[in-house]
Amino acid sequence: MADSQTLLELKHISKSFPGVKALDDVSFDVRSGEVHALLGENGAGKSTLIKIASGVYQPDGGEIVVGGKAVRFGSPRDAQVHGIATIYQELLLYPELSVAENIFMGHAPRTRLGAVNWPEMRRKAEELLASLNIHDLDVTTKVGRLTVGNRQRVEIAKALSMNARVLIMDEPTAAITEADVERLFEIIRLLKGREVGVVYISHRLHEVFDIGDRVTVLRDGRYIATKAVAETTEDELVNMMVGRTLDTMFPKLETQVGEVVLEVRGLSRGRMVRDVSFQLRAGEIVGMAGLVGSGRSEVAQTIFGLTPPQAGTILMRGREIKIKSPRQAMRYGIAYLPEDRGTQGLIRQMELRHNTSLTVLRDLSRAGFINRQKEMQLAQSTIEKLSIRAYSPLQIVGKLSGGNQQKVVVGKWLATRPRVLIVDEPTRGIDVGAKAEIHRLLSELAQQGLAILMISSELPEILGMSDRILVMREGRLVAEFSRAEATQENVGMAMMGNWTGNGNTLKVQADGAAWQA
Amino acid sequence: MATRETSLKKSSPALFQQVQGVLRTQEGVLLIITIISVLILATQTDKFLTVKNLLNQGRLMTEIGLIALPMTFIIITGGIDLSVGSIVGLSAIMLGYSWHNLGFPLEVAIAIALGIGALAGAINGLIITRFRVPPLIATLATLAFYRGLAEGIAQARSVTGYPAWFFDLGQRETLGIPNQLYFLVIGIVISAILLSRTTFGRSLYAIGNNELAARFSGIPVNRNKVLIYAFSGFMSGFAGYVLVSRVSTTRSDMGSGWELDAIAAVVLGGTSITGGTGSILGTTIGLVLIQLLKNGLALSGVTGDATIVVIGSVLILSTLINIVVQRRLRGV
Repeated sequence: MADSQTLLELKHISKSFPGVKALDDVSFDVRSGEVHALLGENGAGKSTLIKIASGVYQPDGGEIVVGGKAVRFGSPRDAQVHGIATIYQELLLYPELSVAENIFMGHAPRTRLGAVNWPEMRRKAEELLASLNIHDLDVTTKVGRLTVGNRQRVEIAKALSMNARVLIMDEPTAAITEADVERLFEIIRLLKGREVGVVYISHRLHEVFDIGDRVTVLRDGRYIATKAVAETTEDELVNMMVGRTLDTMFPKLETQVGEVVLEVRGLSRGRMVRDVSFQLRAGEIVGMAGLVGSGRSEVAQTIFGLTPPQAGTILMRGREIKIKSPRQAMRYGIAYLPEDRGTQGLIRQMELRHNTSLTVLRDLSRAGFINRQKEMQLAQSTIEKLSIRAYSPLQIVGKLSGGNQQKVVVGKWLATRPRVLIVDEPTRGIDVGAKAEIHRLLSELAQQGLAILMISSELPEILGMSDRILVMREGRLVAEFSRAEATQENVGMAMMGNWTGNGNTLKVQADGAAWQA
Repeated sequence: MATRETSLKKSSPALFQQVQGVLRTQEGVLLIITIISVLILATQTDKFLTVKNLLNQGRLMTEIGLIALPMTFIIITGGIDLSVGSIVGLSAIMLGYSWHNLGFPLEVAIAIALGIGALAGAINGLIITRFRVPPLIATLATLAFYRGLAEGIAQARSVTGYPAWFFDLGQRETLGIPNQLYFLVIGIVISAILLSRTTFGRSLYAIGNNELAARFSGIPVNRNKVLIYAFSGFMSGFAGYVLVSRVSTTRSDMGSGWELDAIAAVVLGGTSITGGTGSILGTTIGLVLIQLLKNGLALSGVTGDATIVVIGSVLILSTLINIVVQRRLRGV
């Protein structure tokens, strides 16, 4: 690191918003050729800090130094001119324009007459992508038709086309597949070799160890520490982030597994749900693993009546039931916590109390009139029980942090007093503290006799929390493991389709008499 | 501006907070604009601010008002109903046609008119929910379709000669107040309660803010949508009946362009055109403001074309004021 120079320095930055001190005397720097990870729970100030670094916000106090000189960023444009590019979680591309047009938006090569030099632009775009080892992307394709992973690559190319020296990436792996993550890391390594400094924000700790050189932790708007990644551990980072020692990320409690509550036999719908059969017992957490697109959410949504089944039967406590709408599913005691809390789980513009009551409006009303006192009590008790950090039941849900939003979704489903709880990616995009809390909650609920089906893309979560593990691939259940049998390797193999194990494969069981009994 | 606000804050915080409380709601801002408009208009002519004139204005705004109530529901869900004016025409024609040509008793003819209105609305709702046609397009199509039906049935003939009792609703008073105004007031009260206090009303806000999440929460989204479009059709049919009773005749062009008047009242009343927010109180104030402006300006000797320009300007102005005030108060 001797010859690496400091590209960007944020010194003693403070920033307040009405009612909140978002950043208090925070310092941060990036050197050329390094990946500096920025960690912290939601609300710790990461977003504010990068928005200051990229010129979206102006700091109340402190100094920004680029290449040894103090600068002021009046706008994102100023930051770009100084070689700082930011790739946000929501990619800011024009879906109707081509890859090349997006890359050179605002600085397209010109002909002598001042018109856009199209051939030159395409050539340069291809060159740029090739320099990132991206050879499978046609620069004339419309960006709207690309996968998220490819769009992200376009964003990176766009940043480099503006000669960025510092690349800030806000949760770049939140929405892309494993394979895309691998390619992203390759690109980042390439950039390191070219002396670009990368600021990397992620909730996934193992990524920090995969790709990071240094890591800085923020908590409640304050600077906690900067460490060399080689000299720290995951536990240490988590402790710094949450400010206390977490006993464990996966507080699995011993439970009494009871009778079968829900059973599906030969459930089918389209290509995503093919002949799926399994049982859920009271008190157990059944993990459902599988790649994105393997049909896990589709199974859940079919059971929940959002997309009624085309074939197969659903049994509740041994009695066959027909489910054609979420309403019916809810009446049978089934609750579904959806994958995307922003668009499916919550009504973000509405108040907390109106969200927690949405699933139980009928129970809270008489002759159609909502009992607002009861509604308020429900909100208050949900806040207390799930320790939601909200200042009032009247708070707009969209203003809560991700973890607290997720707790509101959990709360609104627990209000229905379900017997079967299906949770779909229950901890996606929330910070470690809230994650451990949600895990503890699920564990407690199972102990109280709830049957839980937990869909997750995070293998450690599946392995850490489940009593039993089902694996889906291409719309079929392909394997089942007990808690004792399951390992990262065999579950992972089953997901990928390489599993050649023995008695665990469900194909055997599906044909066997055990399922007909 | 900033210094004045701070000095006000110091001198009487209680008053300032009260004013702020009123201004924080869109309805409050609109009410203040309405009061100012009334005061200005009252200085222009002494014929404006009289009980008789105001009651007469109440009579005239009833029909649009009846339509604006369900329109508020629909716009809150993020939808729109452009076919209301045509349903008014179709219902009015069906009233006259089934009485005059088909020989039904007039009471039955009235019921048929209301039923046809509700049916036309339900068809809108079904097209929108079953075939997932955007409401703007679905009701634009039925706007033409229902008007065409009305014209086809009417064959350019109007129906007159109704018995005297038929005009009770549209032309007479009870206790000095126009009869149809009672229905409007009842409609306002019921709609307001329905929207703000019931599970049904809550579901409309939920649908308008995030339809997917509403569906995922077990709310019968499609059923409720069909209900509000049917309600809209029914109220349009009722408005058609009130109109025929007021003007003593039925013609196929009745209610043309009313959809825009109703939408204007709703949107002026602070209901977001993208759905999710809004209130019946706001719609009511919006309705009153538009009617008083029309009437006050006419009485002040402003010509018809100029009146439209003034009303348009007030619409834009009050929307802007609302945006600015809300933004300032939220500190954005």
